[in-house]
Amino acid sequence: MFFRKGIIALTGLFLCLFLIVHLSANCILLLPEETARGLYNSYSTTLRESPLIKIVAYVLYLSIIFHVVYAFLITLKNRRAKPHRYLVSNSKENSSWTSQNMGLLGIMVLLFIVVHLANFWVRIRLGLGEEVSIDSAGYTDVYEVTYSLFQNIYYVVFYTLLMIPLGLHLNHGLKSAFKTLGFYHKKGLRIIAKASLVYAVIMSIGFGIIPAIVYFK
Amino acid sequence: MLNSKIPKGPLENKWRNYQIKSQLINPANKKKLNIIVVGSGLAGAGAAATLGELGYDVKCFCYQDSARRAHSVAAQGGINAAKNYQHDGDSVWRMFYDTLKGGDFRSREANVYRLAELSAPLIDHYVQQGVPFAREYGGVLVNRSFGGVQVQRTFYARGQTGQQLLLAAYSQLYKMKRAKKVEMYPRHEMLDLVVIDGKAKGIIVRDLVSGELKRFAADAVVLATGGYSRVFRLSTLAIGCNGSALWKSHKRGAYFAAPSFTQIHPTALPQTSEAQSKLTLMSESLRNDGRIWVPKKKGDDRIANQIPEEERDYYLERLYPSFGNLAPRDIASRAAKEQIDGGYGVGRLKNAVYLGFKHAIARLGIETIKDRYGNLFAMYKKITGVDAYLEPMQISPAAHFSMGGLWVDYELMTTIPGLYAIGECNFSDHGANRLGANSLLQASIDGYFVLPNTINNYLAEELKADHPTTKHPEFDKVQKEVEQQIAKLLSIKGSKTVDYFHRELGKVMWQECAMSRNRKGLEKAIVQIKELQEAFWNEVNVTGSDKEMNTELEKALRLSDFIALGLLMCTDALQREESCGAHFREEYQTKDGEAMRIDDTFSFVSAWEYNKGHFKLHKEALEFENVKPTVRSYK
Amino acid sequence: MKVIFKIWRQDNANTKGGFKSYEVDQLTEDMSFLEALDHLNELLVGQNEKVIAYEYDCREGICGQCGVFINGRAHGPHDHMTTCQLHMRSFKEGQTIVVEPWRAAAFPVIKDLVVDRSALDSIIEQGGYISAKTGTAPEANALLIGKAVADKAMDVAACIGCGACVATCKNASAVLFTAAKVNHLNSLPQGEQEASKRVLEMTQQMELEGFGSCTFTGACEVECPEGISIVNIAEMNARRTKAKWLS
Repeated sequence: MFFRKGIIALTGLFLCLFLIVHLSANCILLLPEETARGLYNSYSTTLRESPLIKIVAYVLYLSIIFHVVYAFLITLKNRRAKPHRYLVSNSKENSSWTSQNMGLLGIMVLLFIVVHLANFWVRIRLGLGEEVSIDSAGYTDVYEVTYSLFQNIYYVVFYTLLMIPLGLHLNHGLKSAFKTLGFYHKKGLRIIAKASLVYAVIMSIGFGIIPAIVYFK
Repeated sequence: MLNSKIPKGPLENKWRNYQIKSQLINPANKKKLNIIVVGSGLAGAGAAATLGELGYDVKCFCYQDSARRAHSVAAQGGINAAKNYQHDGDSVWRMFYDTLKGGDFRSREANVYRLAELSAPLIDHYVQQGVPFAREYGGVLVNRSFGGVQVQRTFYARGQTGQQLLLAAYSQLYKMKRAKKVEMYPRHEMLDLVVIDGKAKGIIVRDLVSGELKRFAADAVVLATGGYSRVFRLSTLAIGCNGSALWKSHKRGAYFAAPSFTQIHPTALPQTSEAQSKLTLMSESLRNDGRIWVPKKKGDDRIANQIPEEERDYYLERLYPSFGNLAPRDIASRAAKEQIDGGYGVGRLKNAVYLGFKHAIARLGIETIKDRYGNLFAMYKKITGVDAYLEPMQISPAAHFSMGGLWVDYELMTTIPGLYAIGECNFSDHGANRLGANSLLQASIDGYFVLPNTINNYLAEELKADHPTTKHPEFDKVQKEVEQQIAKLLSIKGSKTVDYFHRELGKVMWQECAMSRNRKGLEKAIVQIKELQEAFWNEVNVTGSDKEMNTELEKALRLSDFIALGLLMCTDALQREESCGAHFREEYQTKDGEAMRIDDTFSFVSAWEYNKGHFKLHKEALEFENVKPTVRSYK
Repeated sequence: MKVIFKIWRQDNANTKGGFKSYEVDQLTEDMSFLEALDHLNELLVGQNEKVIAYEYDCREGICGQCGVFINGRAHGPHDHMTTCQLHMRSFKEGQTIVVEPWRAAAFPVIKDLVVDRSALDSIIEQGGYISAKTGTAPEANALLIGKAVADKAMDVAACIGCGACVATCKNASAVLFTAAKVNHLNSLPQGEQEASKRVLEMTQQMELEGFGSCTFTGACEVECPEGISIVNIAEMNARRTKAKWLS
């Protein structure tokens, strides 16, 4: 139980780090198209071809898998620990809704990741589905994939809305990970709690607003 | 003839002399001996754990769901020890004298001296077990002072000293459970004692979950069942506290000593309705800064803050100018009762007095008061909904501690060989009044230090005897009697509840056998209790069956013994024609209303023998070789 | 004052239970919640019915025996309070009050509102003590303990073992309870010798008893009558990690 919780926390923290990098890259999309396309495509190609990044990518895949599988197993165990629910529960008076529903939020985030991977990773890395074009500089035109995807209002809404559960999940997950890993400095934890909130807000707004901006661009 | 088995020699050497001479049992033989411990409070858990460590096979019983609930947990103030850490002239002798004097010279010198003597190592013991006593910044232990003494010798852990000591004892108990030397039986209540050939050899218990009666045999039985002040119904005790184990043992031959000596605590919260079940204690420490008063006008209906200063009677300060609000418990309680009986009581039922902090707040500032008593004020608000920073608290006396209990000798053995009584359930160290912070002490010392050193003296002989088994016909006989009692209770199917009778008993006991007693009242009370007993056995209704968890049946069984015990208490109070400590007979008071002790005729311990519904008095003379009994004065 | 109690009734561990409603009149606001139940039981006796089984002992908030779930909260609607400290003035005239037993796989129902919390004792049994025999103690002031350390130990030692943390936790985790005892003993010099063994064995027993894990909802610290902070869980995690991997 403690080992698995530790793994969930560590993988979670790694994923949080990854999101920072991911969001920074996404910001390229906010530049004017002529600069953005070249930069974005060269950047993504560099990532795909760097051996170091390849290792990191595998760590990333494993992180997601372990995070999800262990969370699932622990949730099962936790449910067995509480087989009988209360008729009336006023948990909102003693805890946040988010903290009570990390599993649900996690499933929503997972759902998002599946769709997100289908939209990009499957097409670009696995080469399945519609073929991806090459840009003028000879890079895979990831910019085009992104741009065309966000011309579809349904995807924009999906990508934007699901950033809300992501933000909630991040906010509770980030600060809790530190506690799970044994960080118990009281003042430090208060700072971490605030930092988690700021981080979560930046991530969800950042990731959520870009598809909309691209749509209206 | 009662033999208290006090060892020879000077007071300071008695305990050592005893230990030198007492018989020992080798470790291989200890394994063959079984001991039953009933109760898991400080005395019970301490004894069970220590006996287990020594190698005996121990079974420990408690009626609660866990040993950690025993009512020692609720003691707030602290525990006394003659460490002289404060360099204020404390010593074992001074502590011995304070305790003896506080008990109004109605306890044994040798027992009290041993209590004081063992107090210092007890603190070492608890610190080693991880009790987080209050500390100075430099890391040494802190002390505070308590009522009735002039030195600082009380060790404490916030307002939860009893809890911390109990949890230490409980953890040791479970340490020995893990070592398979102690078997725990929570949710098991002792209903009777089995005596074979004059020796205590086992008990009958009821499994409170299944309702099943079970038999347990042992080479010795130790009672650590605590106080019985729930005989008054409203008390500071836990609701489950009861006198059944004591009473059943008394009926089987154990003498009951000074049953009527009951400490009434002056600062509890008052009763507010008939339905009330419990009087919560507010720590005595409040009297350090609070001032106790009542309105000067009888039946004054104004709210407290509207009563101007000149119309308030600070009666303790008026009557006892040198001790004022810090007069000892018995005196403060009795003074409150006089005011309430005189028609000056306040509160909805006119049964309380005020404890105000207005002057303290003005003098020290609200922050200091918050710092000193914040948790108590918060507790007061939780229970009453009133903010005591703004208006005075209402307090009232409440039954608290039983100084009386089974008569025990120096070895803590009762008059039934092999039956021991330790902690609050015995009569030994407190005499007619207990000093604050001495009850945790006595329970711990009995359990950890005294009993494990005296029980071997008896068991060494028992090694040679046959070990008892539950097949013995005496077990059949006693179990049948228990079954009959239960069947009888369930068959009455009357019209009144157990609580009804308990309330009635409480009213009689509180009226006639509490803070002040008189012949006429006690005689009337005996008649009333007998009538109540008759009515109980004819009109009570206990629903449910005996083969299940049945809390109503538990209450009925306890109450039937309380009623019988109430009779003995009144009989005892009637017989003692003097005033001493908590026992105040109105006929025996000085001109200015103080207790009048009569040492010529009553310098003895009353030990009552049960004889088919009658009580026979035995006297154990109290001899004071080392101190001279003086008159307590707190004027 | 009149209220409607909706109370879980269950004959014993092996039968199925269900809710039963009781309208109770003639209560007063000064009555404690448990006294209101006492009153209801007296009415039930009057109707020759079996009384409701519920637990209590000290009725002053320290023994920890009186836990029940009241209107969706452990120990009722207030923070940091035991059931016995709850008074009827916290409820409205005519209100329905739903009373349920603690729910957790490790706390099986014995009868009505009474549950078996001996799993908590079993956790203590696996090291929630200092191995020191009676009679072996050194002088009390021989080992100095700074005020800050003693105060912090006292903060957690105050745990009353009521089980509200488990009851309110959606995972029925006993980790606050366990952390309180581990941090109490492991932070004192007396408890140092067995510190690693203690934290490992106690947490292992906690898992064996069938309690869930911590997701830091923080509900436990709100319901804890002693207000024991969940930071203690983090502290115990650190102690555990150190014991498991670094020593």
